[in-house]
Amino acid sequence: MNDKSSMKKQLNNMARSMRPPYKVQSRYIVGEVCRIRQLTPTIKEYTMELKEEINPYPGQFTMLWIPNIGEIPLSFADYSSHTVKFIISKVGTVTTYVHQNIIVGSRVLLRRPLGNGFTLCSSKNCVLIGGGYGLAPLYYLGKVLSMNNCKLKTLIGFKNSSQVFYVEEFSEISDTYVSTEDGGKGFKGTVIDILKNVLREETYDIVYACGKEEMLTKVVRECLVKRIKVEVSLERIIKCGLGICGSCSIEPLGLRVCRDGPVFDGSLLLLTGQSLENDGEQICIKH
Amino acid sequence: MYKALNNLDHFLEIDFHENSLIDISTSLSKLSLRNPTVLASGILGSSYSLLKRVADAGAGALTTKTITKNPREGYVNPVFVDLGYGYLNAIGLRNPGVDDFSRELSKAKKYIQIPIITSIGGSSLEEFIYVAEKMIESGSDALEINLSCAHVEGYGLDVGSDVKLTQEIIKHLKSISSKPVFAKISLHQSKLEVLEKYVDAGLDGISAINTVKGLVVNIDTLSPILSNILGGLSGPCIKPIALAVVYEIYREFPDIPIIGVGGIQSSEDAVEMILAGASAVGIGSAIVRKDLKIFMEITRGLKRFMLDKGFKSIREFIGYIHRR
Repeated sequence: MNDKSSMKKQLNNMARSMRPPYKVQSRYIVGEVCRIRQLTPTIKEYTMELKEEINPYPGQFTMLWIPNIGEIPLSFADYSSHTVKFIISKVGTVTTYVHQNIIVGSRVLLRRPLGNGFTLCSSKNCVLIGGGYGLAPLYYLGKVLSMNNCKLKTLIGFKNSSQVFYVEEFSEISDTYVSTEDGGKGFKGTVIDILKNVLREETYDIVYACGKEEMLTKVVRECLVKRIKVEVSLERIIKCGLGICGSCSIEPLGLRVCRDGPVFDGSLLLLTGQSLENDGEQICIKH
Repeated sequence: MYKALNNLDHFLEIDFHENSLIDISTSLSKLSLRNPTVLASGILGSSYSLLKRVADAGAGALTTKTITKNPREGYVNPVFVDLGYGYLNAIGLRNPGVDDFSRELSKAKKYIQIPIITSIGGSSLEEFIYVAEKMIESGSDALEINLSCAHVEGYGLDVGSDVKLTQEIIKHLKSISSKPVFAKISLHQSKLEVLEKYVDAGLDGISAINTVKGLVVNIDTLSPILSNILGGLSGPCIKPIALAVVYEIYREFPDIPIIGVGGIQSSEDAVEMILAGASAVGIGSAIVRKDLKIFMEITRGLKRFMLDKGFKSIREFIGYIHRR
């Protein structure tokens, strides 16, 4: 109950607009790792206590700086008064370093929340869909939406049963469906297969998606055919994080993931090169 | 409702300004600019789509990211720090290389109407010429030699501190085409007697100033923040320095057009820069706070200023403070 009222307060603290004003990043925020949980052989969840309130929007990201190693963008997987959670998959130099060297008690440095998050709604019928470590921003979003009395359905997909995580967490806040490609857990197949079924049975107001771009493109196609609004969180190489270096530009649109995104209207994916191979299906971009 | 009325007001005001006789166009050597705002080099100019977005946002001209012969990955993060009073960056001349960028530039020239100045970088005369030739082939309207990048060894400042080499570069570039050649200089090389040599070599204009060498240390972790340790300082804190450099260059070479760059965050800053002697103003890190609407904001503010003071064209007050 207490948690609920603090979340409500937190929601009130967030402005409703999609574009939060730029916050001066004059110094890093210090955090202390207080819990580490191994979720899968390559993915860990880090819980950190921060020295100050940062109130991120679901879908926003931060940059985690490890001196002399590097700085990486991370989505907020959860946040409630001073406590933040990140899901970190071992993929590159910095994440490998984090997996091997960051322990409970380690101090880390973060930037204030960056970018534009998901559109928050209340009392709506929503679907969260994602795969792999793309689940991170969806969990925080789901938590906020369920506080907003939204009816949620979560569809999460993995390669095989050893990579499955966060099913219990999502089950607490939503009606959750799991898929694995080898059928080791949940449905055998991809989340797209479940999505097709789910969309056939009921109508939804909005679909939120995060994961591999190939999967996102398929999600967007399914949704737009049914005229359902869809928002996707995209990934690119982020350098400055503030929209001036151009490294994270989505071609050929010139949209910057760090500043204009990382959350975009899904129809945008139909305008980028990757999704141009048409499978002959008629797609309607209007909602 | 109130908001809607406010917006209407806003539109009426623009409309009124647009129709009035105020001329905010300016020129840089042979280039004609619809307004004096120029996207500074190093900011967003690495692809056609980004250049197009900035052009659509209202810029008067575009400077590309510094292009080198080979692609450069740039440095490891962190590459950019917001200090509150300014910004420190060491991106490391990240760019797609001249071959890839040629395609982007050709496309940009096809669809973008405003002048595009290509910033070129190199560590030798041959590299500068190689890049310049390719860029001119692809339709670049002018060249800007990067003599002042504060944080890449062998490039920028290291070239700029070799006066003889720079003179040679300028002479060669002038001999291979009729396109204007500008030099981007920093505070560290604003000596007037050196600039005179460049002007004698045929330089058509000066971009001043590039970032100032700087360092920022995080005391929590006892380490410098930028992966490259040293970086270039930009933003509001370098504006008075930039103004002084522009002022001195204009005083010495009133016929050489200057793009005043450094800390311009508002139309007032732009006016100051023009009064000190700049024919156009470069916009760079202001995009962090104001995003791309900064270009429109400055042109609108300039018109309002000119209306207030009774200026009919930008030319009337370029270097005005020198006439007192």
